[in-house]
Amino acid sequence: MSDDRISEGNISRAELAELAVLFDQFEFAFDPLSLAARESESTFDDLVLSLFEERVKPNHPALPLHIFHSKIRSLCRAYLRKGTI
Amino acid sequence: MSAACLNFDDLIEINKPQVAEFQRLAELLPDSDGSPESAPMSRQVHIVEGLLVQTYGIASKLTKETGDLADIAEIWRNLASFCNSVLQALSSLRKRFPSCGTPELYDLALDYKLACDKRHHRVLQELSCQTIEFPKGIFPEPN
Repeated sequence: MSDDRISEGNISRAELAELAVLFDQFEFAFDPLSLAARESESTFDDLVLSLFEERVKPNHPALPLHIFHSKIRSLCRAYLRKGTI
Repeated sequence: MSAACLNFDDLIEINKPQVAEFQRLAELLPDSDGSPESAPMSRQVHIVEGLLVQTYGIASKLTKETGDLADIAEIWRNLASFCNSVLQALSSLRKRFPSCGTPELYDLALDYKLACDKRHHRVLQELSCQTIEFPKGIFPEPN
């Protein structure tokens, strides 16, 4: 994880870029049943949960995990289309 | 869009006669224990398996390229519906023609339908989140 999150937000650009790579590997996999796709999805979900528990929930306890998860997915889509956050 | 281009709905429509062919074959063929007479059923299983795999790949590519979540949701809904039509066609055939690959194709269509349903559901969640105002400071400001 990078150290630039304080100036950028609780979640950094580098972390979002890392999540976008994982998202690409499972959401747009040509074979959704492949081991690689399933492993990427599991890693993605674990990382989103970890970021939520450690960085978001303490400051924003009213924000539900599934809303945060959906927002991350949308940011990953945008990142993959535009190449930037 | 050029008249020479297909959209995803067209692709699904083109696939449907191959699923309907299962019913026609089922009416023509005797129940199979692996006899040569059931070869057309095995061939049709291979055709529809190829369609499923290829159409899923096309859906993945299209959903990556479009930024409209409603369009993405529609693609996954449409493909899930196609998978469901394969499941319905095979529901009785997998017992009548078990040695023609029908049980394996049924399982594949079910796995693909679940994958489509999951993506459809999550895109709908993303759509509903578009109207939510997120607290500042969680994500980087857009460039």
